[in-house]
Amino acid sequence: MADTRIPPVAAGPLAVGLTTALHRAGLPTTPERAAGLARALQLVPAVDRAALYWTCRVALVTDRAQLPVFDAVFSAVFDGMLDAADNRGDPTAPPPIGSEPRTRPVPPDSRPSTPGASQGTPGTAGGDDGGEEGEREVLLAAASAEERLHSTSFADLTPEELGQVRELVRRLVLSTPERRSRRTRPTRRSGDRLDLRRTVRAAHRSGGDPARLVHAQRRWQPRRLVLLCDVSGSMEPYTRVYLTLLQGAVAGAHAEAFVFSTRLTRLTRQLALRDTDQALARAAEAAPDWAGGTRLAEGIGQFVSGHGRRGLARGAVVVVLSDGWAQDDPEEVAEAMRRLHRLAHRIVWVNPRKAAPGYAPLVGGMAAALPYCDAFVSGHSYAALEQVVEAVREDVRRR
Amino acid sequence: MTAAARTGAEEEVRARLPDVAALAEALDAVDYLADPGLATAMFLAVRLPQPLLLEGEPGVGKTEAAKALARVLDTPLYRLQCFEGIDAAEALYEWNHPRQLLGIRLAEARGAPLDEDDLFGPDYLLRRPLLQAIEHRGPRPAVLLLDEIDRADAEFEAFTFEVLAEAAVTVPELGTIRAAHPPVVVLTSNRTRELHDALTRRCLYHWIDYPAPERVAEIVRRRVPGSAEPLAVAAAAAVGRLRSLDMAKPPGIAEVIDWVAALSILGVERLDTAAVEASWGSVLKNRDDQELARTRGAAWLADAGHG
Repeated sequence: MADTRIPPVAAGPLAVGLTTALHRAGLPTTPERAAGLARALQLVPAVDRAALYWTCRVALVTDRAQLPVFDAVFSAVFDGMLDAADNRGDPTAPPPIGSEPRTRPVPPDSRPSTPGASQGTPGTAGGDDGGEEGEREVLLAAASAEERLHSTSFADLTPEELGQVRELVRRLVLSTPERRSRRTRPTRRSGDRLDLRRTVRAAHRSGGDPARLVHAQRRWQPRRLVLLCDVSGSMEPYTRVYLTLLQGAVAGAHAEAFVFSTRLTRLTRQLALRDTDQALARAAEAAPDWAGGTRLAEGIGQFVSGHGRRGLARGAVVVVLSDGWAQDDPEEVAEAMRRLHRLAHRIVWVNPRKAAPGYAPLVGGMAAALPYCDAFVSGHSYAALEQVVEAVREDVRRR
Repeated sequence: MTAAARTGAEEEVRARLPDVAALAEALDAVDYLADPGLATAMFLAVRLPQPLLLEGEPGVGKTEAAKALARVLDTPLYRLQCFEGIDAAEALYEWNHPRQLLGIRLAEARGAPLDEDDLFGPDYLLRRPLLQAIEHRGPRPAVLLLDEIDRADAEFEAFTFEVLAEAAVTVPELGTIRAAHPPVVVLTSNRTRELHDALTRRCLYHWIDYPAPERVAEIVRRRVPGSAEPLAVAAAAAVGRLRSLDMAKPPGIAEVIDWVAALSILGVERLDTAAVEASWGSVLKNRDDQELARTRGAAWLADAGHG
C-alpha cells in the first residue's frame, strides 16, 4: 500500500532520533539499542506504520511498564511525520498505536518516567555497612538523653530528633529465618546424598579408589523479606521513619518494598539507592497517592494477586506496617489477608497505634486482619522497632 | 567474528523466512496463531539473530511460541526449565561419574590399561540442554528455550548469557566446543523478580497480551479438533467474562482449551447452564474463584454470549 508508506528515512538516523526522544522521555535506551533497531529495520522494511511500530517496540522496549511511554513517544514522533506526508486522513491507516487490547492496567511497579531514573540499579550488595556491631555500639553509647529518643513515639519527636532516630533506624538489621535451598555444599559428615563428582575427584588422588566419600548437604538461605508500608494520611507521623526502615531492608536484606494508600506502588528499585534522602525523594515521586485515604484490602489484594501470586510472597516473611484504619469493608480485608496468609511463611503486622493506652483491635480492618497475622507488634518508637526485628527473625508460625 | 555473526542469519534460514509475513504464515501452518507483534519479534530473533525475551500472563502461549518456532524451522527444541538453585551441572554438562567408576572397575577386572583420556571422553559426558543446543549439527540452528528464567538466580542468568554470547563451551578435559549453528534463543519470564539489566539489554522484548475472544475461539478450534465452532466461540466469550471478575487466578487460554476439550468429551455442543454446572472445575482451578463465579450463576456465564 503506497498510501501508508512512510517517507523513506535512512534506518540509522531514524533509530537514533527515536531512541533520543525515548531517552528524553525517561526510558533507559542506549546507543546499543539504537544500533539494534537500525539492524532490525534493515530486515523488516517499514512498509507501513504497524510494521514500523512493532519493529521499534520489539527492539527498544525492555519492560512491559515502559509501553505507555513508548506508545506516546512513538505516536508523537511518527504521527507528525505521517501527517506531513500525503496520507492525511487516510481511512485505511492501521489502528492507532496503543489501542491494542490491554486486559489489565499497567502494573504499578513501573519505573518512574523521570530522566534521572534511567541510570542502572546501583549495587545493593553490602549495603548493611553498619552491620550488627555498629548497631550495638550505638546502643551501648545510648546516654540518658538518648533514652528519650528510644522510647518516645515517632509522632512526638521534634524534627531534629526525628533525624537522629532515622539515622539509628537506618542501621537496624532485619534478618529473616532460613530455609533449605536446593544448592548443596560438600561435607565430610554423611549427609542425605553423595556428591559423586567430588568423590571421584578425591578418588583420583588415591589411584581411583574412592577411599573418602564426600557427601552433599543442602545449603541454608534466608527467606525473602517483603515490606508493605501504609503511607496514608493517618500514618503520616510514622511514614518517614518507616521508609527509612524499608530503605535499610532493601539495601541490607535484599527485601522487596511496597507502599500503599489508595493503590499499591513497588518501591524496591527507587529505595535501592545508597543515599537515603535521594532514595526517599525518588520514592515520593513514584507513589502519587502519598498521604491519601487507606484502602487496606485494595493494597494487600493488589499485592497478592499481582506480585504475590507470581512468587514474591511464596515462603516469604511479609511485614505490613499499617494502623489498620481502612475505608473498605472488613470482610474484604479478611479475604485479602486470607490469601496472603496462604502464600507467605509468616505475616508480621506493625501497628504504631497499638501502644496507645486503651487501644484494642476490636473493629474494622485491624480486627479482620488480626487472625491471619503471626505476630502483632507496635513499632511506634525506636525501642519498639526492636520488637519488629525480633518478630522478623522468629521462625514459628502461629498455626 | 562476532561482528560478522551479527550481520544476519545463515543462508538457509534466510531462504526459509524471507520476511515477517512468511513467518506468520508458517506459524499458522503449524497451528500457532501469532499476531503481527509476536511474529515481528520472532522474525527478528531468528534473523538478527538476538535472544528474545517473552513475557505475559501464565497461559498466553509463551512456551508454545518457542515450540512452534522450532517446528517452523524444522529443528529440535531444547528446553531448559529453570528453577531456584539450578546450576551449571544441570544446564550445561556433567561427567557421568557412576559410569566412570564402572569403567575403572571393568578395566581393572580385565587388566586392561586405562588412560585418563578414556574416562573423560565424549562417551562419559552427560549433555544438558545448553550443550545440546550448542552441539546441534544443523543444517539449521536449534531453538533453545530457557523457560521461566526469572526462577533461576541472577548468577545463573549471567553464566547462561556468557555461554550464549560466546556460542562456545569449554570442557577442561575435552577442549572448547564451538557451535557450528548458534541456537535461536527464546526466554520466558513470569516476572517473579526483576531480571538483570545485562540480560534485558541483550534481548529483544515482547509482551504477549491476552488475545481478543475471536482469536481465542480460533486457537481453541485448532487445538481441540473435534469441537463445535459455536461451543468454542461461547467458551471464549465466557472466559472473557470470567476474566472481568477479580480472580485470584484468571483463566488463560490453556483453561479455555481444557474446558472445551472436557465439554466435547461430555458430548456438549452448546454452552448452556447445565453444561457450565457440570464443568466448573475444568475452567476455574481455585476454590475462591469458583465461589466468586458461582455467585454470578451458571446462567450468567453461559447465556450472555447468545443474547
